[in-house]
Amino acid sequence: MALLDIKNLTIYYETEDGVVKAVNGIDLQLEKGESLGLVGETGAGKTTTALGILGLIPNPPGKVKGGEIWFDGQDLLKTPEKEMRAIRGGKISMVFQDPMTALNPVHKVVDQIAEMVLLHNEGISKADAQVRALQMLEMVGIPADRANEYPHQFSGGMKQRVIIAIALACNPEMIIADEPTTALDVTIQAQVLDMIRGLRERLGTSLLMITHDLGVVAEICDKVAVIYGGEIMEYGTLEHIYNETAHPYTKGLFGSLPRLDLDVDRLTPIQGLTPDPTNLPAGCPFGPRCPQHTEACDVKPPYNEISPGHFVRCMLFNDQAINTAGKESEE
Amino acid sequence: MSAPLLEVKHLKKYFDTPSGPLHAVDDITFTLNAGETLGVVGESGCGKSTLGRAILNLHPTTDGETWFEGELITGCSKARQKELRKEMQIIFQDPFSSLDPRMTVSQLIAEPLDIYKIYSNKADQEKKVDELMDTVGLAARLYNAYPHELDGGRRQRIGVARALALNPKFIVCDEPVSALDVSIQAQILNLMQDLQQERGIAYMFVTHNLSVVKHIANDIMVMYLGTMMEKSPAKELFSRTLHPYTQALLSAIPIPAIGQKRERILLKGELSSPINPKPGCRFAPRCPYATEVCLQKFPELEEIFPNHFVACHHVREVNGI
Repeated sequence: MALLDIKNLTIYYETEDGVVKAVNGIDLQLEKGESLGLVGETGAGKTTTALGILGLIPNPPGKVKGGEIWFDGQDLLKTPEKEMRAIRGGKISMVFQDPMTALNPVHKVVDQIAEMVLLHNEGISKADAQVRALQMLEMVGIPADRANEYPHQFSGGMKQRVIIAIALACNPEMIIADEPTTALDVTIQAQVLDMIRGLRERLGTSLLMITHDLGVVAEICDKVAVIYGGEIMEYGTLEHIYNETAHPYTKGLFGSLPRLDLDVDRLTPIQGLTPDPTNLPAGCPFGPRCPQHTEACDVKPPYNEISPGHFVRCMLFNDQAINTAGKESEE
Repeated sequence: MSAPLLEVKHLKKYFDTPSGPLHAVDDITFTLNAGETLGVVGESGCGKSTLGRAILNLHPTTDGETWFEGELITGCSKARQKELRKEMQIIFQDPFSSLDPRMTVSQLIAEPLDIYKIYSNKADQEKKVDELMDTVGLAARLYNAYPHELDGGRRQRIGVARALALNPKFIVCDEPVSALDVSIQAQILNLMQDLQQERGIAYMFVTHNLSVVKHIANDIMVMYLGTMMEKSPAKELFSRTLHPYTQALLSAIPIPAIGQKRERILLKGELSSPINPKPGCRFAPRCPYATEVCLQKFPELEEIFPNHFVACHHVREVNGI
């Protein structure tokens, strides 16, 4: 059984200007010890999915409209808030995008890590929590003599290390990282990615990595889910997504990227703009921008498994489904 | 060979801070020909944006000269400055904060035309605005829209249209696509390339994204803490990377492909402070090849291969030349 199994998750934001359909029936699995990249552009629903898993959708205006989020055999959507508070940070941790604002500026970094340890381990003494915090700092490569400094004394890369130390402090089973290296310079990003990879190898923590960067995904993930208009368009292993790219949107993403490793004279951008989530197309959300759009795309395309473990939501592949029952029969 | 469009000689820009002068740009020299693109890359704080602004005299320079079409423009009069702005424009990074929220799309694009009183006749000016909107791919129905109604890609198109309004010969593009999603980024990059081909505009393209400059630039200059580390024709920089910093920078970029095992050079530590920098190579504290001489003596820029300049004491040993 998968560690995380999201079924048909639907999340809307009900605003005065209309209903923002942020997440529309997402299915996702994350196995124990695996790392999954959730890739998409601004407004695709990446962060909403993550907040949904943690039960952090601001309500109002946000509302989970349906679906199930199974984590460790428990449906998080039916879990009472009190238990959720133990799960957040205990079993599932989150690393936010912006290391500049995620830390409390008036507390020493060591105390911010110890706070996490104290909250999730009943009866632990303050001294023990401090010891654990210092161990965590060392693990993320921050020398102990900087433990008593404040966040403003740290650079962006160091702050992100502290945040990762906080996230790992209670040995969570899964980490959700929302664009953890986007705000960092490339040489610092390389250091942080290297550290994340090393820690995952050592601790076996599962990772849900939210990013827009297909390069970062190739470095750190085992599987990839490409999200667009609140739906998973393509899902598979790195091999499936990078070498057997099926969905026209995924192909469009690759065509848009200036490449270091290839010589491209002219980029082939995706025409048009990302859809307005208050007014999504009736059929395939990518339909209006798709170069291979046909009339068939005006109805919702099914989510088909076109080779073992490679799922595509696109009419072009409708007759290539290896089993018509789709995902259900996989289990 | 005709004279270059832009010549920058030993340009320096220091900012005064309470703890001493901050060397944002330290002794940068380069030339740029009409219709070509110079990519300026580096990480945050390397002085690449300051360099662009100093060239346009948006920051008064500390030392050095900028020549534009054979004219020394450093320290020229206010009136001349205003005239020069017609020829030299800038596209800013953030399309969210660089546009006045209370002006409509057409007003924003017409603003440069108003300032320079290009058209005496309203109808002509409107025609020009329509034409510019068409050039950058803004739909006519957005004529009276406000920036907040538009997404980042469209706003950046307004920025491009404003820069183009006066038919400049040179545009500093300060991270023009960094705030945009990749699918939109590709649209803007293609637009900028088309405009360059049609109008022969020279770009100084400032960015942290090496993949983008590789795609768009003729020459690339790599900066680190205010100084030039390496400058070379774009293709050569990637096929024959000479400076240890450029090598590390290139190896750090995640490639969106699998099965390509690359040697990653992990740099130790982080950027040192540009305030009162120590003598010697700015990169030395993080450089895997640094020796005593690197900490003592500032490396001079040296032409190792034709048009390929490197500032490194050990460039020959490191690359086995």
